[in-house]
Amino acid sequence: MPGRPPSRTDRLFRALLRVFPFDFRADYGREMEQTFRDQRHEVRQEGSMAALARLWFETTRDVFTMAPREHLAIFQQDVGYALRTLRRTPVFAAAAILTLAIGVSAVVAVFTIVNAFMLRPLPVDRPAELMSLSTRDRHAAVPHGLSFADLQDYRSEGAVFTDLLGYAPRPAVLDAGRGVERVTLGMVTDNYFSLLGVQPALGRLIHPEEGRARGDVPVLVLAHDYWRSQFGGDPEVVGRSARLNGRQFTIIGVTPLSFKGTDALIRVSGYVPLWMIDDLMYTSGTSILERRDAHQLTVLGRLKPGVSLAQARAALQITSADLARQHPSTNKDVTLLVVPETHARPNPGIGPFFRVIAIGMAALAILLLLITSANVVNLLLARAAGRGREIALRSALGARRGRLARQLVTESLALALMGSAVAVPVVVLAMRGLEQFFAQMTSIANFRPDLSLDLRVLGATLGVAIVSGIVSGLAPALYAVRADVNALLKTGGRGTPGESRGGLRGALVVAQVALSLTLLVIGGLFARSLARADDIDLGFQPEGVLLASTDPGMQGYDPAQRLAFYRNVRDRVVALPGVELAAWISWPPFAIVYDTTNLYPEDQLPVADGETPQAFTAQISPEYFAAARVPLVEGRAFDDRDDADGAPVAIVNQTLARQFWPGRTAIGRRLRIESDTLDVVGVVRDGKYNFVWEAPSGMVFRPLAQDIPSAATIAIRTTRPPSDMSSVVRDTIRRVQPDVATYDVRTMRDYLDSGNAFAIFRLGALVTGLFGGLGVLLASIGLYGMIAYHVSQRTQEFGVRMALGAGAADIIRAVLMRGGCVALIGVVMGVLLAGGLAQLLRTFLLDVSPFDPLTYAAVAVLLILISLLASFVPARRATTVDPLAALRAD
Amino acid sequence: MTSRTRSVDHFLPLTPPVLHTLVALADGDKHGYAILKEIARRTAGDVRLSAGTLYALVKRATADGLIVESDERPDPALDDERRRYYRLTPLGRRVAAAEIARLESIVEMARAKNLVRRRGLA
Repeated sequence: MPGRPPSRTDRLFRALLRVFPFDFRADYGREMEQTFRDQRHEVRQEGSMAALARLWFETTRDVFTMAPREHLAIFQQDVGYALRTLRRTPVFAAAAILTLAIGVSAVVAVFTIVNAFMLRPLPVDRPAELMSLSTRDRHAAVPHGLSFADLQDYRSEGAVFTDLLGYAPRPAVLDAGRGVERVTLGMVTDNYFSLLGVQPALGRLIHPEEGRARGDVPVLVLAHDYWRSQFGGDPEVVGRSARLNGRQFTIIGVTPLSFKGTDALIRVSGYVPLWMIDDLMYTSGTSILERRDAHQLTVLGRLKPGVSLAQARAALQITSADLARQHPSTNKDVTLLVVPETHARPNPGIGPFFRVIAIGMAALAILLLLITSANVVNLLLARAAGRGREIALRSALGARRGRLARQLVTESLALALMGSAVAVPVVVLAMRGLEQFFAQMTSIANFRPDLSLDLRVLGATLGVAIVSGIVSGLAPALYAVRADVNALLKTGGRGTPGESRGGLRGALVVAQVALSLTLLVIGGLFARSLARADDIDLGFQPEGVLLASTDPGMQGYDPAQRLAFYRNVRDRVVALPGVELAAWISWPPFAIVYDTTNLYPEDQLPVADGETPQAFTAQISPEYFAAARVPLVEGRAFDDRDDADGAPVAIVNQTLARQFWPGRTAIGRRLRIESDTLDVVGVVRDGKYNFVWEAPSGMVFRPLAQDIPSAATIAIRTTRPPSDMSSVVRDTIRRVQPDVATYDVRTMRDYLDSGNAFAIFRLGALVTGLFGGLGVLLASIGLYGMIAYHVSQRTQEFGVRMALGAGAADIIRAVLMRGGCVALIGVVMGVLLAGGLAQLLRTFLLDVSPFDPLTYAAVAVLLILISLLASFVPARRATTVDPLAALRAD
Repeated sequence: MTSRTRSVDHFLPLTPPVLHTLVALADGDKHGYAILKEIARRTAGDVRLSAGTLYALVKRATADGLIVESDERPDPALDDERRRYYRLTPLGRRVAAAEIARLESIVEMARAKNLVRRRGLA
């Protein structure tokens, strides 16, 4: 038998054994082959083919049961070894884990956002069948929704879609017996829940065919979250009545916990039939549902089984063309867009734009992960070089190289997994912060994207960790495998692999220094802008002002009732102790929703259509300029004369006055706004109305009593800290009219910080500062890894130099020079890059030059100091080399 | 002494394949195939180990010091360079004995409760 060539069955069994780990095979493979050969021989003598088949079956099954256990045992052993090794080198371990945590965090954070807005299927029946329908007309840059009339026509097409549903998020005032609250409602078509396949958690949902006309079925379905938070999950809530915008509704049910609506950005508190939209919005005249120009609805369709997206598009194009012929005034030149629902988040208008940004963000995150992986490779290589002798020794003692490589990869895998364990909670916190940021912006709508980490994200994290662990571990593993044992033992472990990549390594560190400098400079410029924000001239005095918004129009108040409400509230608020002045404005400066108007001076001919001058416009009560401390430049402020019985008047700002009547007085001139002609009675100083960085823009103020807005905000100048007054102001307004909800009660300072005004600087400074800080950390770890490797390669050279009389200071200087050079090149490149980028962002900088020398100098000095520190640690180690030991190593 | 007792207890209970293997080696060194055959024969074919299970347990039992590879080749005429013979160590013998004693005590307990009867007396 010895020396006999292996038979085909032998070779087959040998192939089967390859699923065992290499070591196991090497130890027992030949014996197993022999044993199996004996077993076959025995069975063959019995002459039963069935027995032979059973032997093969049982042996194969056994191999596949035992092999994974062997792999697992080795893995456990390697993990144990890796953990012990890492514990012995805590600085290295911390640096590597931190580095990987940064890279993994970036990828996971981006993936969480991408998951929420592009991937996570809606928790409904067969979500992949859902398509988004939107329209784009020739004049509009972005797609928009459909009108209800159009939706009905597309539904009747019937061949490609099972059905289509429509919904529209709308603000509303809800009174469920415990006072009024402003909420966001989903107004949905009757088939909304049935087409999605959503089942109620309690009671029932809106039925298909429920309601056939305007005002039918005043029923309300509560969203699960809202029911939990506002009703404490009370099951008795079904059947109770509630008032929405002053109208009577019956609560019929609660949605399931998993269903958070069909809008990725706006979270609704409840759902009502779309038939109720006219009642809730107090529409007079033609129903919104009958107007083809009212593109109110976001539309989803469920494809019939077997129908492709292309077929659906083709079929609906025909309907679309029919509609254009039948209703040219509204549907001509309108293109219908059909895309998968996941492509149209958070809404069809910004979905495509969002996808481009997401891809860019993902690319940046992956780049960051690559940089961090490269840093870890450097760290591992530096250590592998230091461990060269240990590895060579173990190798000489009989450890197989494949086994050593596997163990090194396991070690970097363990590092990556620990890095991810740090990254996941960091990302969870960051996403909560982001959700908070959205939620605090305004109560106009409930912006609350669901940025939770689900199994998909955790799975992706694990995948990223495993890949980055293996990738980072591969280089040092190959180093260990390739290294010549004899040479390593002789040279004391300073091999040469990787040395040729020294240039690449240097370039990598230069890039990191440059990028982190760029980020820090931008962050610094934003921070300096923020510091200047207090000094910037907004045109009014924000300190000491409390704001509170109300929307009596939403409750169906007619103009006279609204005016009475505004006056009543103003009189009572002004009488409160601690209040100096109070005045209404239809929208405060920097509001997300604001008004503009076309206008021209009466003494100048109206210019061609489309070129009519535009200006911001707001209605104010007489005391507004005094309360907001807007200086009057010329003429008079509004007073009690300026009501419905008085002559229509206006006050303009300096920019508008200059624009229409340059070099002349504006007082006494007349303005045409739509059908009104207004006498200009005053000019006030310019201010900022929409963005802090906007160019001076025209503004027209009109008296509240002459043009009564549906919603308005009261600005209260207090003698006490304004934040102390919020609850008393809320109570006061409630006492005037309990059914009008008060929302966005906050100090002007808070409002400016979280809204359109300064939020972008805070966010910009925070994000760039955070990433810049992380970048510096990464760059210093990268530099440390590079210098440590450099030093480990030159231990012997340093030993010789010290033996020849060089002092520790000389060695340290030599190493620091190298680190300093790399850092300096990075700093120079970073300054150039930051200068270019800051130039692009100059619009967003408040009174700070994009080349602000202080910011640049501070960041550059900081980076060079950190770089020198990162180099100093390994440099000092170089001086501890015993010259004799270094020489003896040869 | 106590430490040794603990080290024996540490291995208990044994899985049936391990116990069978240790028992198979009690009366002399054997190679892998011989162990499989012996177990199958003694249990009338009830316990049939496959090569993978056998060598995985050989590896572990060797690492634990229950068996060792023996350098003696009992029958040079039948010997084959591929075959390795395994021998029960004193520790392996004690562990096997302890496991048998453990099983016996369970059997005694079962008998006392008339769960099983002594074979041949029924």
